[in-house]
Amino acid sequence: MISVANLKKSYGDHTVLDGVSIEIQRGEVVAMIGPSGAGKSTLLRCLNLLERPDSGRITIGDTVVDLPAKIPVRTLETLRKTAGMVFQSFNLFPHLSVLRNVSLAQEYVLGRDAKAAHQRSMELLERVGLADKAGSYPARLSGGQQQRIAIARALAMEPEVMLFDEPTSALDPELGLDVLAVMRELAASGMTMVVVTHEIHFAQDVSDRVVMMADGGIIEQGDPAQVLSSPANPRTQRFLKAVIDR
Amino acid sequence: MIPLDVLGNAIVMTVVITVSSFLIGAILGVPLVLLRTSRFGVVRVLTRALIDVLRGVPPVVWIFILYFGVSSDVIKLDPLTAAIGGLGVISCAYLAEIYRGGLLSVHAGQTEAAQALGFGQVGIFTRIVAPQAFRVCLPSAATYGIGLLKDSSLASTIGVAEIAFRATAQARSGGDGITPFVIAGVLYIALSMPLAYLSRTLDTKLRMKVSV
Ligand SMILES: Nc1ncnc2c1ncn2[C@@H]1O[C@H](COP(=O)(O)OP(=O)(O)OP(=O)(O)O)[C@@H](O)[C@H]1O
Ligand SMILES: [Mg+2]
Repeated sequence: MISVANLKKSYGDHTVLDGVSIEIQRGEVVAMIGPSGAGKSTLLRCLNLLERPDSGRITIGDTVVDLPAKIPVRTLETLRKTAGMVFQSFNLFPHLSVLRNVSLAQEYVLGRDAKAAHQRSMELLERVGLADKAGSYPARLSGGQQQRIAIARALAMEPEVMLFDEPTSALDPELGLDVLAVMRELAASGMTMVVVTHEIHFAQDVSDRVVMMADGGIIEQGDPAQVLSSPANPRTQRFLKAVIDR
Repeated sequence: MIPLDVLGNAIVMTVVITVSSFLIGAILGVPLVLLRTSRFGVVRVLTRALIDVLRGVPPVVWIFILYFGVSSDVIKLDPLTAAIGGLGVISCAYLAEIYRGGLLSVHAGQTEAAQALGFGQVGIFTRIVAPQAFRVCLPSAATYGIGLLKDSSLASTIGVAEIAFRATAQARSGGDGITPFVIAGVLYIALSMPLAYLSRTLDTKLRMKVSV
């Protein structure tokens, strides 16, 4: 489903991704962990080209992006339609109601008619447990509710892959639970997911594979139980100890 | 006393000058701010210089330039057009800067979220960024509009029969020298009040809905 080959990205002379390669199967849930500055967000943002990699190749579904060649607008559009993204800071549109947040892109980008978009939006709001908030504005909702709406908004584009960048980091632990529950359900439904997270429990219970990043590269990956409980790499050991002690 | 119909015409004239020059600025300010925030450095620098020039020259000088300077044998500008044009020129520069402040206030995450949903540049601007920027601009734009209402009195210098012009004429025609100006002052305040009120209520309403 996703294939990344030798992806490189630097800001000035600071190398952030140093030739990253990874294959992700359809339906697989990958949890990405690693210290701050490891390049996790950058990798995720490169996958839907919010960030432009310097070189390498990205394949998502049928869409292939070869760098450093110029990326055709069509490719960009298809890639972003194929991969939905959920941000740490939710980024809901504050000037639109919850319903409009979910339906606008369906109409504007997918070209769905208003009625179909409305119906699909309500289904998705139902799915994340917030159908009763359809008429509210984001500012009136808790962070956990906002993040669930952000998930519904991304799902409305019918993506084949969902990318999550620390979706619960900005939330009180308690509020994060509802978001994690929605993500669990999504994983169970067979969605291909890449989740950058510090939630070790989520990684343990839900993911099929844990990928550990440090210094712009993947230093260890494998079965969650194995990587999380008996990591081979000393760097992973140190990182996990720090996360658990916190 | 000034006859009522003359007074009425003067008020209409003041409103026409203010509203027209504001609209010119509100419309032409859009392309100006787009150039001002262009991807290309040269365009940005040139637009900024243009805005500084437009704003740097006092309104009355712009009005004179248009009326006595541009208005030649070739193009004939009547006083009203020259006044509207002069104030309009300045308005585009000020409103472009007000728009820019609004655009800058929209969080970068908004653009990213829209990009991730597949919006193109036009969609991001028209559906996501501009509506949010507009709300932020509203109070400053209204304040600018009130300033413009007062600046419209400069049209009297080239003989446009608006409120200040009538007040001056009345005062000169003998009798009481102060009353016409007091009346003019009251009229300006009365005209600015609805604008101030509108801006305040809209602002509160939108803030309730949107603020984070
Ligand atoms: N726009 C940018 N300009 C310059 N440097 C950047 C930019 N974005 C990220 N970086 C740098 O790239 C490195 C990797 O950043 P990234 O956000 O991918 O890390 P991360 O693994 O997601 O960390 P965190 O856990 O803190 O989110 C960091 O050193 C960061 O300072
Ligand atoms: Mg990050």
